[in-house]
Amino acid sequence: MSLIRCLIIAVTALWLTSCAVEPPHNRYQLPAGESQPGESAVAELQARARQALTSGDYRLAIEYLQRAIRIEPRDPYSWHHLGEAYRASGDYRRCVEMIDRSFSYSDEGSELDAPNRRLRQICQSG
Amino acid sequence: MPRPRNRNSAPAASSRRWRRLAALLLLLLAAMTAYLAYLNHLIDARFEGDTWALPSRVYARALELYPGLALKREQLEYELELSTYLEVDHEPRAGQYRRLGDSLEVHAREFDFGGELQQARLLQVFFDDGRVAGLVDGPAGVELPLFRLPPVLIGSYYPDNGEDRLLLDEEQVPERLIDTLIAVEDRAFYRHHGLSPRAIGRALLANFEAGKTVQGGSTLTQQLAKNLFLTPEKTLLRKINEAFMALLLELRFSKQAIVTAYINEVFLLQQNRIAIHGFARASRMLFRRSVDHLEPQHLALLVGMVNGPSRYNPFTNPAAAIARRNLVLKIMLDQGLIDASEYALAAAAPLGVVERLPGVNPFPAYLDLVKRQLRASYAGTDLSQRGLRVITAFDPQVQRNLEAGLEQGLARFDKPGLQAAVVVADYLSGDIQGLVSDRDTDYPGFNRALMAQRPIGSLVKPMLLYSLLQGDLTLASLVADQPVRVRQSNGQIWEPANYDRRLHGRMTLYEAFVNSYNLPFVNLGVDGGLEPLAQNLAKIQLLKHQVVYPSMLLGTTAMSAFEVAQMFQVIANNGYFTPLTTIRRVSDHRHRDLGRVALESIKLFDQARMIQVQRALIGVAETGTARYLAERFGGRSLAGKTGTTNDLRDSWFAGFTRRQLAVVWLGRDDNQPVGLSGSAGALRVWADIMTRQGLESFKLSRDASLEWRYIDPLGGGLLPADCANGVLLPFPKARVPRKRSPCP
Repeated sequence: MSLIRCLIIAVTALWLTSCAVEPPHNRYQLPAGESQPGESAVAELQARARQALTSGDYRLAIEYLQRAIRIEPRDPYSWHHLGEAYRASGDYRRCVEMIDRSFSYSDEGSELDAPNRRLRQICQSG
Repeated sequence: MPRPRNRNSAPAASSRRWRRLAALLLLLLAAMTAYLAYLNHLIDARFEGDTWALPSRVYARALELYPGLALKREQLEYELELSTYLEVDHEPRAGQYRRLGDSLEVHAREFDFGGELQQARLLQVFFDDGRVAGLVDGPAGVELPLFRLPPVLIGSYYPDNGEDRLLLDEEQVPERLIDTLIAVEDRAFYRHHGLSPRAIGRALLANFEAGKTVQGGSTLTQQLAKNLFLTPEKTLLRKINEAFMALLLELRFSKQAIVTAYINEVFLLQQNRIAIHGFARASRMLFRRSVDHLEPQHLALLVGMVNGPSRYNPFTNPAAAIARRNLVLKIMLDQGLIDASEYALAAAAPLGVVERLPGVNPFPAYLDLVKRQLRASYAGTDLSQRGLRVITAFDPQVQRNLEAGLEQGLARFDKPGLQAAVVVADYLSGDIQGLVSDRDTDYPGFNRALMAQRPIGSLVKPMLLYSLLQGDLTLASLVADQPVRVRQSNGQIWEPANYDRRLHGRMTLYEAFVNSYNLPFVNLGVDGGLEPLAQNLAKIQLLKHQVVYPSMLLGTTAMSAFEVAQMFQVIANNGYFTPLTTIRRVSDHRHRDLGRVALESIKLFDQARMIQVQRALIGVAETGTARYLAERFGGRSLAGKTGTTNDLRDSWFAGFTRRQLAVVWLGRDDNQPVGLSGSAGALRVWADIMTRQGLESFKLSRDASLEWRYIDPLGGGLLPADCANGVLLPFPKARVPRKRSPCP
């Protein structure tokens, strides 16, 4: 009897706790990994920017990435690449700024986490 | 000793007379030379200065077309019309487009994007369900991932005097326009050297017979000289000056150059207090076409108007304008400039002018801000160059929605003297996309959006809330809505009240914020919130006073709509400060970069804390002072804050959606009450404007340092998710509330 009572108390406590935990769906937040209508255009501009960066045309790379950001400003990759372009052009202050923005749009533990941290460190000490 | 008298006195006197005469002649010659040199100098200063120089041109942003872009066919057509593209029913040439079913075939013009020359290109744009469904390269039939449409020209001006003009160079003037002008105004143009004795004789005879001036004998060159240098009064001296100047012009410049200058300079129309000079400007304003797209009837009307801009004004004297136009068409037919069928079509056509004449510069507030930001950011020597090309962030679609929404919104209130200023920006990039500074949106007067400094009322509360969250408070902290008396530095007692003059007891900080109760914020502010508020305002250069005073807590600080937009930019953008700007790039007339405006993004505030403020701003639109938005656009998540000042003098609303921020101010220039709170006035106008922009829901960024809980907005305790009165709020992990509230 006392065991059943204990069980009831434990289940009730568990239920009450579950009421207060973070809800699984939060309508106020941006959903993770949501696809954006301008994805293919952004991917094209990022590809052009990488090409320009490889050929040493930092100004053109920055231009492409700024266009990509105006199409989809919450894409963390555009900000990351923009940080790379600024590092390559020697503008370390802007590099840090852009990486910070990339952080703000990428989830903790995402594949951009480590590259962002690395680049930020390089630019901060640059 | 007296001099002996010359015995040959008669010849000597004669010689002296000759010498005097010669001296007089020399003097006259010198005077004449000086006079001609003076006239020549005038020509140099004006003709070679302004007339042939290129004005600085201001462009809108280039529209990026890509599959998935929210854009209706009609919107693209509007953009094309603004760029004077002509709709045709055959395969379009550069500067033309045609409809093909649900798609548009556009032949985009060539454009130099500053180092990247984009060739003219034929492409087909497909639409589906309000979006671009695909882009196909015309000749190749290849799908394109994106295409940049050359930007719309939104204004041009001379850097030194700011005058807005639209000029053509020699190659841009259509031959038919020159031929018609010469056939009507000066048939001997290519034969004379500035003056036409035969025309003068003919005019003298006609005027003598009539007993008054009925006919002029001026050549085009004389008319140009008069337009450029002289006053319109009919005096002999003026006619003499005109004749000499005409001769000098002909001596120094080619016929082509003279007729081009004439076409750019001639007075054609008076609109309100603005005189419209030049065929290019008049053509755009009357027909919304560029001169190379004019039909014979348009051309004939414009050429006809040269003779009497007010007599043949198509808006005030349409019958006289048609008669004059048809007379010019007859001359064109007689001179072989058009054939009989063209003549018949053109003579039977209506005038074809726009219904309402647009402003000379349709976006005066925006252009004014561009000029101010240019002066602030670029060296004077760069700006004094002619032919600058300024690419801005101006979005014609946004401005169009803004103007239509404002008109609709203001029509709600029957309040003469009510003025408005609106700023619309992309808060993520800092682009100012649209701007209005007068209820008559094309009126080029006082720029209220930038210059009118008004108390901002409760618009200060989001920044105050941020400052309070920097301390120990959370959105669920309990605060007291109780009276407060504050002794000010001048010794006076300040005793603020709530807007509704009532007290509401204890509640959470969130609840006090969404309802914009004043007393809890003043209580918290004087208890340590004031200094952080001042520091935070100073970070974004909006602390206007050296002395910090308690009434700042209720927004007695005055700001312009532009400054409010900057404050909300940093709030909407998770604490990242991005200066609001109109300018993206400036290049010289050879397309060399003078500077590009880089995307700035300076982290000034804590993101997690700003997300809590944003959540509270969503609450304002859900259940608070802006709940009108939830009632009107239920289901959408919008964020914003109302602001009202003493005696209902200023009505504010600042709010944002997924990407856009708009600030609306309503008030009177004489600072008299308008009888509108922020909720009753600016909020409604904001909704009318933003519903046209698409109203995409604003979503908060995910931040791992925050945890979300359902909270009782009055008691501040945790509630189960299914409890009706619970609100879902974010908390820093270390400050998640622990106590529970009962679910009623």
